[in-house]
Amino acid sequence: MIQPQTHLNVADNSRARELMCIRVIGASNRRYAHIGDVIVAVIKEAVPNTPLERSEVITAVIISTRKELKRDNGMIIRYDDNAAVVIDQEGNPKGTQIFGAIARELRQLNFTKIVSLAPEVL
Amino acid sequence: MRLEKCWFCSSTVYPGHGIQFVRNDAKIFHFCRSKCHKNSKMKRNPRKVKWTKAYRRLHGKDMTQDSTFEFERKRNRPERYDRNLAENTLKAIKKIDKIRSDRASDHIKNRLKTGKVQRQKEAMKQLELGIHLVKAPLALAQDSSLCLPKIKVNVSQAQTEENQPMEE
Repeated sequence: MIQPQTHLNVADNSRARELMCIRVIGASNRRYAHIGDVIVAVIKEAVPNTPLERSEVITAVIISTRKELKRDNGMIIRYDDNAAVVIDQEGNPKGTQIFGAIARELRQLNFTKIVSLAPEVL
Repeated sequence: MRLEKCWFCSSTVYPGHGIQFVRNDAKIFHFCRSKCHKNSKMKRNPRKVKWTKAYRRLHGKDMTQDSTFEFERKRNRPERYDRNLAENTLKAIKKIDKIRSDRASDHIKNRLKTGKVQRQKEAMKQLELGIHLVKAPLALAQDSSLCLPKIKVNVSQAQTEENQPMEE
């Protein structure tokens, strides 16, 4: 359940460290974003001397949430933190490595590049 | 579909039950119900919580080593489907389960055997002290045949042979 002002960790090596959600993409008054949703975020903390810098507005897709993800087969998955991966307008990740286990839902939402880079898919 | 073990209490988690928690290092913890999940969130150590299998095994309350446990090892290689194999496996599961539970209950019975003599002594003592609840003291005094039969229990110190009715 990510909403504007939520701070998220960055789960890839795209040189950003922490993002703050500004907007949930989807509908005009959409409240919350879950795993697999695209958000607009601002970079709150970045690795110094890199192309991405602080207070830059980027889009990201949410990889993991502390709020449980419920599947149709009854499986419920909860992560330890809220994390996102920085993407561009087409949905390709900006980084080259993904950290952490990725939920299978991302494959159905056509984030295949992210899923292929992930070390583990749940 | 895979039957997991609850990380906290070690019971089987069937599909559709419980929560899986994924830690940041990608280690997955399965919980069978919210009781175990909440206990784990409280950072309780299952080895110290009395009702978990981990505690019971650690403190010798339950059977730890047995050949029947070998059958339940986690196997990551998928088996090619063979009807005969599947049928035999299902039959074997039932048999092995029965053998394992019989051995486990035997283990517990043996463990509790040593307390039997102690419990008998305590019961005798309690009967002597509380004989007035069983039979009225007056009745005992009048009719001596209603006296308690003398049961000898082997103890180190000498026991009183006669049962004196309690006097108020």
